[in-house]
Amino acid sequence: MTFTCGCSRRDFLRKGFYGLGVGAGLPVILNRTSAALAAQALGGTSLETNPERILVVVELSGGNDGLNTVVPYGNDTYYQVRPNLGIPEHDVLKVESGYGFHPALVGFERLYKDGQMAVVHGCGYENPSLSHFSSMGYWHSGVPNGGDPLGWVGRLADRAYDHDAQGNMIVNIGTRQSMAVQSRYHPPLVFSDPGRLRRDGTGDELDALAALSPEVTSANQALEFLTSTAQNATESGELVREATSSYHTPVDYGIGGLSGSLRQTAALIAAQLPTRLYYVSYSGNSFDTHVHQADPHARLLAYTADAVHGFIEDMRRIGRADDVAVMMFTEFGRRVEENASLGTDHGTATPMFVLGAGVNGGMYGRHPSLTDLDDGNLKMTTDFRRVYATMINEWLGHADTRSILKGSFEPMGLFA
Amino acid sequence: MSRDRTTVSRLLTWSVGVGVVALAWSTPVVAGQAGDTALADDLSPLTVADWDEHKAAHLLERAGFGGTPDDVAKLAAMTPEAAVSSLVDYHTVADTLSPFDASPIWDPAMDPFPKSRAEAVRRARETGTSMGVEMLPEGESRRLQPVVNKFFYGLRSNAIETQRLALWWGQRMLLSTRPLEEKLTLFWHGHFSTGNTKVRDTRMMLRQNEMLRAHAAGSFRDLLLGILKDPAMLVYLDNRENVKDHPNENFGRELLELFTMGVGNYSEEDIREASRAFTGWTNSALEFHFDATQHDYGPKTFLGQTGLYDGTDIIEIILDQEPTAEYIAGKLYRYFVRQELSETTRAELGATLRNANYELSPLLARIFLSRDFYSAPSVATQIKSPVHLVVSTYRKLGLQEMPTIPDFNRLTASLGQTMFNPPNVAGWAGGRTWITPGSLLQRGNLFRTVMFAETDSFYPPDRVVPGIYASVARRLEQGMNITAATQEGDAESSMLADRDEDYNTRYGGYMGYVMAFEKLKLVPRRTPNLDLVRLVNEAGANDVEAVVDHFIARFLRVPLDQVDRDVLVEFLRDKLGADQLETPDAHSEAALRGLLYLVLSTPEYQLA
Repeated sequence: MTFTCGCSRRDFLRKGFYGLGVGAGLPVILNRTSAALAAQALGGTSLETNPERILVVVELSGGNDGLNTVVPYGNDTYYQVRPNLGIPEHDVLKVESGYGFHPALVGFERLYKDGQMAVVHGCGYENPSLSHFSSMGYWHSGVPNGGDPLGWVGRLADRAYDHDAQGNMIVNIGTRQSMAVQSRYHPPLVFSDPGRLRRDGTGDELDALAALSPEVTSANQALEFLTSTAQNATESGELVREATSSYHTPVDYGIGGLSGSLRQTAALIAAQLPTRLYYVSYSGNSFDTHVHQADPHARLLAYTADAVHGFIEDMRRIGRADDVAVMMFTEFGRRVEENASLGTDHGTATPMFVLGAGVNGGMYGRHPSLTDLDDGNLKMTTDFRRVYATMINEWLGHADTRSILKGSFEPMGLFA
Repeated sequence: MSRDRTTVSRLLTWSVGVGVVALAWSTPVVAGQAGDTALADDLSPLTVADWDEHKAAHLLERAGFGGTPDDVAKLAAMTPEAAVSSLVDYHTVADTLSPFDASPIWDPAMDPFPKSRAEAVRRARETGTSMGVEMLPEGESRRLQPVVNKFFYGLRSNAIETQRLALWWGQRMLLSTRPLEEKLTLFWHGHFSTGNTKVRDTRMMLRQNEMLRAHAAGSFRDLLLGILKDPAMLVYLDNRENVKDHPNENFGRELLELFTMGVGNYSEEDIREASRAFTGWTNSALEFHFDATQHDYGPKTFLGQTGLYDGTDIIEIILDQEPTAEYIAGKLYRYFVRQELSETTRAELGATLRNANYELSPLLARIFLSRDFYSAPSVATQIKSPVHLVVSTYRKLGLQEMPTIPDFNRLTASLGQTMFNPPNVAGWAGGRTWITPGSLLQRGNLFRTVMFAETDSFYPPDRVVPGIYASVARRLEQGMNITAATQEGDAESSMLADRDEDYNTRYGGYMGYVMAFEKLKLVPRRTPNLDLVRLVNEAGANDVEAVVDHFIARFLRVPLDQVDRDVLVEFLRDKLGADQLETPDAHSEAALRGLLYLVLSTPEYQLA
């Protein structure tokens, strides 16, 4: 069972997770040329045509108000159901006939006009749940109205990587692990503050812990798994701290939670981490705008678009623009009618966004009707798993979406 | 298996990414103890000659939550049959623990509790009252505010009461003289996954927990019928919406896929037909209710048979299927023994269950007595669940009451397991999915907060308003009106005029906490009652090497190697400044706690 390189698991563990000497300290910023060469060397045997491609999933938790994000300003009904919260037509950042962005989404407008942003209207699933917990769970597992102990990104890693493969196949930047990255075989590296990816204790305790020998080979496979994960934890902690603290970029990501997470993602990509699956989430139910929505929602959107725009711009700066795509989702949109507290309540269908230099920009799918509603909520027009299938198949080049998504979902031609 | 391997190697080419990762597994795994490995898949019973303290400790770790050296010694002194029987036939052991002491949070008008805030408000608009709260008279501002407050009160009080319930259950796990009963109840909780986040009713969660416990090692038939008539499950799976004109397939799908047969043994048509048989199965508050007006009395064709079936008939047909017994036996095996099981073991254990007419205790006894259970692939190869990790640590320490600083639920939740709130209908995936690089570090760090518990920085989750609601509270105290106090952002908000609206959701969310705190019984807060000096004295360990060896033997199921042992010995010697544990003072106690923190932080300690 030897794959792709002649080194044994033992060699591998001794060398460390990034092929670097661990004992030698960690000057971890790797050389792009060597990475590119290694990737090229694999080209001949690879089923995959673009082994450098990276997927960054961005979760807008809390239920983003899709109608005030991609504004259907050409539709009179919109202004009737949103008498106070509706974005006046003259404020809308118009990008297509009848549709435009919320005025805070300057970054999106720019990316859209550059042809680097796809908007997929009306994403959702049959029999939608209005509960944050249930609906987010469905988006995470990719199994609406059902359950799976693993997440869709986790299953993607399980299908795509050798089960014994070492290293961080998935990086999840957030205050807690998303269910989406739950994998059978590939523990995601989860962090929000890289400073927390370390052991606590006094100097004596930490010295002793560091001196405990990594027992890398054992007949006990569970113990091997644990010791290699422990070693990975220590190295990854150092690597992430080193990569993020040493990362300097002139690109402005703006402020707000997402800017820090995406800058950390950029730092790890710039440091040539072999990770290809990144998952970034807002903490808490940030987008849950029941009350006095206008200002906080505008702020959240501005933070989001600034950060994503900065990230895409930064990828261009470091020469990785063609290798990175961002997919954004939220667990549901808001109710069509605004409520009496100048906010909006839990709803259903909502747009998804796919961004990156490789994207065929434009609007996809059909905008849901504002009058043909299901108990006051939009009827979805695109199953969200079609967008997942697009990222898995068209972007990452993994043909077998069916086993990952537990059903057949046609990719949407966002990258074709 | 061979198909998997081909797929894997083909997929690997996809996997290497930027190509820096070098991966391989060229050395074949060499078994440590060939003799023990040879016992794998041998379901014949272990003999007395093979019985020893190690095996007794393994049994107690798996069929319970581990124990003190005394607990292990008692089991080791028995025959294997008697030891297994003492755990499996637990109905002969008295249950001395007190029932859950519920807080008085419910009043009759809260039943049935509205599914959403929108429904709570709709009821009030239509009838003038909702959940026993009247809408304010016309002319008042925020006429529906009391209704919304009451709704959030219901949510908050049940969420926190459920944490109290989980603490009570954790205490049972720690103190029960019938540990397998609690271990099995936890298994069934994951198998028949139900979450209070959706159910929103602690009474129902308690009722379900008691039902699972009552049948935990009894008849799977009773468990299945119990869970399909269980109010919490009926709510969790939306079976109220499973009515004759619009059958809801969720119920049938989960029943077949997760509860009984596993995928591949039935068709989509079977799911639909099974769901029809359960139409009208609903609940009236805490009781099962059969709504004949919503039941589909027509003929159903299920798994090749046709009849005028109702839910109980469907259950009998499911139990007649060989895959059902194998699925349940296999899942129990994976929970108690190891992740992989051979086809023959699976078939044989399935037959054991079926031949016992789905009585579970003969199957459990057979598993725990089998040579396979004590074979090398089965011993110290299981990654502890967060609940097991915390409870077994307290048990091995000999604690006689559950520490509440650090908070029990926070400990397990931060490692990915919240009792009464599994991630979804599929329950916890278990095994390696418990572990990420970060959670592995966290597993160690948390025990530092147990060894050196901080009372100053501790805030009790059952009495502190969290997050955004804390800022609402602060602003109200500063004299802001409700509109301003519930606005996000800073200075400009104080300028806002109070709005005339039906209600303010965020204010309701805040008031929900205030009202809940008035009714919820307070969790007594206490740090772990540790006395490690006494613990090692009682074990007769006085010099540093003996102390380290005692901790290794007491806490670890896998021995540490010599290098690691030496590191620990040196650490303790340095901390004590001596080779002997001489004076039983605070300094010695702190040194021992530091040492134990190291032991509990090892990868080895994650294994049961």
